[in-house]
Amino acid sequence: MPILNKNKRVLGALLTFASLSMSDVSHAETLHFGEALTHQPPVAVSALLASPEAYLDKTVTIEGTVVGVCSMRGCWADIASDARFQKLRLKVQDGDMVFPMHAKGRKAIATGKLYAVHLSQAQTQRYLAALAKRNGEDFDPKTVTEGMAIYQVEPVAVDILD
Amino acid sequence: MNWFRLNRTLHRDIGYFCISFTLVFAVSGLALNHVRDINPNYVVERAEAEVNLTLQASDAEINAHLLNAFNLDTAVKASYWESPSRYKLFLEQGHTITLNLNRQRAVYEAITPRPIIPALNRLHLNEVRQKWVVFSDVYAVLLIYLAVSALFMVKGKYSALSWRRGWLVLLGTAIPLAYMWL
Repeated sequence: MPILNKNKRVLGALLTFASLSMSDVSHAETLHFGEALTHQPPVAVSALLASPEAYLDKTVTIEGTVVGVCSMRGCWADIASDARFQKLRLKVQDGDMVFPMHAKGRKAIATGKLYAVHLSQAQTQRYLAALAKRNGEDFDPKTVTEGMAIYQVEPVAVDILD
Repeated sequence: MNWFRLNRTLHRDIGYFCISFTLVFAVSGLALNHVRDINPNYVVERAEAEVNLTLQASDAEINAHLLNAFNLDTAVKASYWESPSRYKLFLEQGHTITLNLNRQRAVYEAITPRPIIPALNRLHLNEVRQKWVVFSDVYAVLLIYLAVSALFMVKGKYSALSWRRGWLVLLGTAIPLAYMWL
């Protein structure tokens, strides 16, 4: 029996260590990702999307409400624009930053580089068809005659405020 | 030196050392294999409700209607018009209500983080970076040792090098080869 008790103690210590090391601390008030934010004044998302060429491949700071998060890997977060129906995606390589789902509805400030994802005509048709389907709207792929660009920010620093 | 006995001892002790590593990679491997079917990070509970709203309704009226539709008594954190017909309401804990005015339907999503598995996945995918890659590499080398040393664990008719059990080794080799070539 002493051996059994000793084994139980070892197993208990291992389980305690495992649970402590895996405890979730992601509900802190402000969530910080990447480097510390600089005090660069933010650019309005609407201004950025109105003339993206002016900001392309440049470091910008944006702020807005988090309105979407990748539920599988936390590898992107959508930031609402100050203009209606607009948003801008923060996209990181898997694992560089992991945005939690409970960030939705909270204000985020992010600094990073704006870049364009160019879609071919066929990709644009599929992309817009998927959006229309999600919105329950009719969509005719023939109305798309050329490709489009989607703009995203690759962040180096993100704060998600409470 | 008795190499046979040394190999068995090393195989046993390295096997003990690798138990937790193996469980980490095996459990997270299962979760990641089925990532399209089961969200490994969150339990997402959905409820749907019919609504009766028009574009003329104010945001405050829409919010009250949506909360009432799902019998919720919670604070609204933020709202967002995704398109002229699609509206999102953000509640505490990352819960959301998505309204589709075209379909006159709303979907409530409540999310609960899963315990343990996200942490295992982060290790499996090397998302924690830092020094984990060192442990991960050591584990990979030890697994190679465990695989090769297993060939020399037993002597005689049940040896991995005999036909009686060697076919298991051949089968285990043939399966990945078939996937590589076919």
